[in-house]
Amino acid sequence: MGQIIARYGEISLKGQNRSEFEKVLVQNMRRAVSPWPGVHVARGQGRIVIETGDHPVDPVLTALSRVFGIVSLSPVRSAGLSEEAIGAEAVALVQEALASGEMPRRTFKVEVRRANKRFPIPSPELARRLGGVILKSVPGLHVDVHHPDLTVNVEVRDVEAFVYGRTVPGLGGLPVGVSGKVGLLLSGGIDSPVAGWLAMKRGAQVEAIHFHSYPFTSERALQKVESLAQVLADWGGRVVLHVVHFTEVQTEIRKHCPEPLTITIMRRMMMRIATDIARQRGLLAIVTGESLGQVASQTLESMYTIGSVTRLPILRPLVAEDKVDIIRRARQIGTYDISILPYEDCCTVFVPKNPRTRPKPDEAEAAETHLDVEALTASAVKRTEMKVFHARRGVERSLSGTP
Amino acid sequence: MELYFDTAATTPLLPEVREAIAEVLDVYGNPSSLHRKGMEAEERLTRARSAVIRCLGVQDGRVVFTGGGSEANNLAIFGTVRRFAQRGRHVVTTRIEHPSVLEAFRALERQGWSVTYVAPDADGVVPAERVLAAVRDDTVLVSMMHVNNETGAIQPVEAVGAALRDRPTVIFHVDGIQAFGKIPACAARAGADLYTVSGHKIGAPKGVGALWLRPGLDIEPLVYGGGQEFGLRSGTENVMGIHALGVAAERAAAEVETAWTQVQALCDQLLAGLQEVPNIVLRRPRQASPYIVGVSFPGLRGEVLVHAFEQEGLYVSTGSACSTRGGHARGSHVLEAMGWSDEERTGSVRISLARWHTAADVEAALAVMRRQVTWLYELLGPATPSRGRARRRG
Repeated sequence: MGQIIARYGEISLKGQNRSEFEKVLVQNMRRAVSPWPGVHVARGQGRIVIETGDHPVDPVLTALSRVFGIVSLSPVRSAGLSEEAIGAEAVALVQEALASGEMPRRTFKVEVRRANKRFPIPSPELARRLGGVILKSVPGLHVDVHHPDLTVNVEVRDVEAFVYGRTVPGLGGLPVGVSGKVGLLLSGGIDSPVAGWLAMKRGAQVEAIHFHSYPFTSERALQKVESLAQVLADWGGRVVLHVVHFTEVQTEIRKHCPEPLTITIMRRMMMRIATDIARQRGLLAIVTGESLGQVASQTLESMYTIGSVTRLPILRPLVAEDKVDIIRRARQIGTYDISILPYEDCCTVFVPKNPRTRPKPDEAEAAETHLDVEALTASAVKRTEMKVFHARRGVERSLSGTP
Repeated sequence: MELYFDTAATTPLLPEVREAIAEVLDVYGNPSSLHRKGMEAEERLTRARSAVIRCLGVQDGRVVFTGGGSEANNLAIFGTVRRFAQRGRHVVTTRIEHPSVLEAFRALERQGWSVTYVAPDADGVVPAERVLAAVRDDTVLVSMMHVNNETGAIQPVEAVGAALRDRPTVIFHVDGIQAFGKIPACAARAGADLYTVSGHKIGAPKGVGALWLRPGLDIEPLVYGGGQEFGLRSGTENVMGIHALGVAAERAAAEVETAWTQVQALCDQLLAGLQEVPNIVLRRPRQASPYIVGVSFPGLRGEVLVHAFEQEGLYVSTGSACSTRGGHARGSHVLEAMGWSDEERTGSVRISLARWHTAADVEAALAVMRRQVTWLYELLGPATPSRGRARRRG
C-alpha cells in the first residue's frame, strides 16, 4: 500500500482563492491517475496525499509529475505515532535505498518536522534517536549531516508520521483551469505549441485556433496541428481545437490588397476571426507564439498594427525568448518532432516579394478598403469546425530536463 | 466523382484479384510442408511463377518473389556484386533511377565501389551509347530502368542489352516496375539478366514483387534461412500476395497489346487537351510510355496543384512524392538531371493512366486541370517571365 505526498507551494500563497485552487488541482490530479482505478487523491494539511492502493508507486508518480501546479512529490511511508513505529519505517526506507543503489557511500542523515506539537519527543531529539536506531539496525552506515547520500525525512502529523527519502520535482505553475480560458493561435510551427504549453502552465485552459487554407495547405498539415493539439491535451487534460477555413480570406486578400501588406492584413484577419471565436467561447485573451524580431512580421510595428484590430489582450509568452531556447522547450514538451514535419502552413503560401516589415495601422486600414472585412470574418467564423482532444491514457509525457 | 490518375504510384485491386485473394485466404498451408496442405499452397506459387514468366515474355528462368519492387532491386544489385566481386569493383547506373536503385548504389560507394551515374538527355532518355561507354573491363553490373516513373521515358534497354551480350561478364539488371504488364514481352525485349517487377502497379496488393533471373545466372541472397525461393529469399512465402500478383500478371499479359493501343489513344487525347491548359510546360521524351505523362506549371507548386485537383476528385502526384526529407520537399532528382529549372521542378505533376480509364475520364480530368490551373494562375499569377505562353517541345 503506497502513498505519495504532493506539495504545491505557490498555491498556498493565494489567500482566499486557495480553496478553489486546491479543488482544481485535486481534480486535475484525479484525472491524471484515472488509468489506475483505486488510486485515491485527497487534500490535507497544505499537502495532497495520494494513496496508490495495490498499484506500483512509480507510474503514478510519473503521471502526477506532469500535472501543472505541483511543486514536488515524494513517495512516503506512513507510520503510527510511536518512536518504535517511526523507527521501523525509517530502517525500511534505508534498506530500500541501499538495495536500489542510492547510497553508494552509505551515508545518511535524519530530519524531523513536527507539525503535531503534542507528540512528546522534540524534533532534534527524535532525529538523534532515529539515527541511533538506523545505525544499530543496518551495519556499516555513517551519519553525514552535510552531504548525505540519503536524507531520511520524518514528518510527525496529527494521526500518523510520514517517512520519506526521495523528492521528485513537479512542473510548478498553476493548475489548468484556475486562470480561465484563452485562445491560442496554433500554426503547426515550433513556437505556438510552446506558447500554449506556457499558458497552460500558468493555469489557463487552452482553446487552439488554426487557420487551414486547403488546397494551399494539405490535409497532412491539418493532421499535424491535430497531433500538436493532442500533445497539449496530454499535458493540460483537454484542448479544444477550432479549425478556421481560411482559403477564401486569403484569396480575397490576394485579389484586393497591395502585395507588400498581405501578410499584415492576413494576420489582422486572423486576429479578427480569433476575437469573434473568443467572444462566442468566453476566451479572455489571445496567446501567440510570437517572439520579438524573430521574423519580419514580428516587429513591434507589426504587433501594434495587427493587435489594433482587437480589444482582447494578446499574450506572447515567448516574446523575449531566443529561437534555440524555444526549440529546447519544444523538445522537452514533445512537440518539436511534430512541428518540424515538412507540411506547409498557411503563412508560407502567399509570401510577398517585398513584405512591409514596419506597417502602420492607418496604412493597413487603407489597404483593406476593398476587402469586405466584416462579411469575410463572419463567414469564416461560421464555417469554423471544432474538435476536442482529451489526455490520452497511459501516455508517458514528462519533461526531459528543466524547461 | 473519383478520377484516379496516379496509377504509377499504385493501383486499386483488380476485381478478379480481390476475388482471388478472398479465395486463397483459406489456402493456409506452408508451401514447404510435405503434406497436402503444403502442396495446395505450393501450387499457387508455381502457377504465379509461370504467370510472371509469361507476362515478362520470356520462356524460362527463375522468378524470386520478394516483399516488393524495392526489395527486388536491392536483391538484384547487392546479390550480383556480392556474387561477382572478384570480377571488379565498378558498376554503372543512371541518374534517373528510382531511390531503391540509387540509394543501393550510394551504399555500394560507401563500401568502396566505384559507381558511374550516366546522365540523361534533356528529354529524360539516357542514350545507350553513353551507358555502354561507361562500361569498363572491371564493370560487374549495369542497372537501368525500363520506363522512368516520373517522365514515362522509355530507356534504350534493348540496345544496351544487345550490346552487353558480347560482354558476358557484365550482368545487366533492368528495373521494369513501370513496364511490367504494360510493355509487351518487357524482359525479353530488354535482353536483361535480371528484371524487377512489382505487384501493386498492376492491380495486385502492396508488399509483393519479384526478381526474374535468366537461366543459369546465380546471385547471392540478402535473406538467409530455410532456402525458400531458390535460396535467394528465405522465409515462408507470402502465398496470398504471390497468388494475387500471379492473377494480376495473367490478366495484364492477356491484355497487354490491346491495352497499349487503348492507353496510347487516351494519352494522345490527354496530351492534346493539356495544350489548352494555361502556362503548361509539356515535354514528351522521344520514346515515351503512354501510361505516364509529366508536366509542369511554372510559378505554382506541385503540392498545391495536387490538393487543388483533389478538391474535384482528381488524383495525381507531384514529380517527387517521396522526397520530403530534411524539412522541405526536394525537387525531383530526375527532372534536375534533365536540366529543368527550379520553378519547373517545383511546379511539376505526374499524371498516370491505366487501361481501365475511359475517354470520358480523361475529358473530365482535363476539365478539372483547366479549371484549377486557371484559377490558381489568376490568383497567384505566373511567376515566370514566360507568362501566358505555353512552351511545348517534342
